[in-house]
Amino acid sequence: MKGDRRAFEALLVKYEKPVYNAAYRMLHNREDARDVTQTVFLKVYENLDQYNPAHRFFSWVYRIALNESINWLKRSSRQEALEHETADQGGGPEQQAGDQQLGEGMEAALMMIKSDYRAVIVLKHVLGCSYIEISEVLDIPEKTVKSRLYTARQQLQERLTEQGLH
Amino acid sequence: MAVDPRIIELINADIDGEISSDDKQELEALLAESPEAQAMHAELAGLGTSLNELPDLEPPAHLKHTIMASIPKSEAQQQRNNVIQAIFTSPPMRYAAMFALGSLVTMTLISSDQASNNAFNDVTGLVGTISSEVPVGPGIRSASIDRPEVAGHVTMRSSGPLLILDFDLVSSRPVDIVATYSDQTVWFNGFAQLESPGASISAESGRITMQVEGKRRYALFLHNAGERNVSINLEFQADGEVVYGTAVQFEQSGESGD
Repeated sequence: MKGDRRAFEALLVKYEKPVYNAAYRMLHNREDARDVTQTVFLKVYENLDQYNPAHRFFSWVYRIALNESINWLKRSSRQEALEHETADQGGGPEQQAGDQQLGEGMEAALMMIKSDYRAVIVLKHVLGCSYIEISEVLDIPEKTVKSRLYTARQQLQERLTEQGLH
Repeated sequence: MAVDPRIIELINADIDGEISSDDKQELEALLAESPEAQAMHAELAGLGTSLNELPDLEPPAHLKHTIMASIPKSEAQQQRNNVIQAIFTSPPMRYAAMFALGSLVTMTLISSDQASNNAFNDVTGLVGTISSEVPVGPGIRSASIDRPEVAGHVTMRSSGPLLILDFDLVSSRPVDIVATYSDQTVWFNGFAQLESPGASISAESGRITMQVEGKRRYALFLHNAGERNVSINLEFQADGEVVYGTAVQFEQSGESGD
């Protein structure tokens, strides 16, 4: 398909939104998510000959998306800044009320857990992947997927509790 | 009391929708016997629901066009674009390119006997580059466009009597940009483009028309002899219909908003 712009455009239409949303949930910044999405699709286009048809196509695209997001965090050193930023935004129980604040609190809490754990949460709850699909995307055993999801949820609960939201 | 790891595994499988019917029955039996497990199930289910309800965001309208425009058309063109792109990203090269552009514009004007204060009509094929490092004068204005047909930014800078309109755009189909101004002391002074072979442009008194298709970076140079306040109206037309209109303004006194 490399060189076939029309076929690539069809892929772009199908995966643009999930890739953008995954990047946004990993980075919590719209501009970064936009840039990462652009990079992901350029990589998809340039590396189509390296795609292994033994795996499902979406898992290859999602793997690139998550790797790019994690690399972006490493390059820009946003991770630490975000952790401090979101930790500062926690506030006390009196500041928190209602579903909207829970949603905002959840977004903040997501940014406070490690990117490896955030990745499994994004794959499960944003992209709707099954255990086996997450295992394929991240190239880790299904058992590790389950344990990471469990740990990620525990950490999210702790962060939400700290913010008085859970 | 700590919850049994087996129950934790079953609870997580249940809220993830990955529990078998046999395991579901086992979980229900275990939950019936353990208030702690029930509380954990309720908590994790609530957490899962909150995560599932995080809103889906729409990607920026122009992102698809930007990506499609970024896909290399051919290796030869890509190599050419990389060289030009390097000019944009390297300040020393940018200054050199700016100087080269000035020379090019001057030579073009002289060779075409149009080195006067009057606008000239045919500048097709004039290629150069633009600089964002020129001394920035007062009254800088910019406009953002985010339409399905065309998206990006237009920025106006000034350097003495020179006004530079920087168009950084991407379009999904051919779009005409019509720039008009009423001040007769302002005249068209040049045009430069990045990675866009064969750009179409026409200039007449008070009106300049360019075409954009795909990803384009243009610079339009206007001479503002009196360094007076100037408003440049911009219309973006697709298939003869105006899809977006805005104005960028140069003001002696300082910046101003739309």
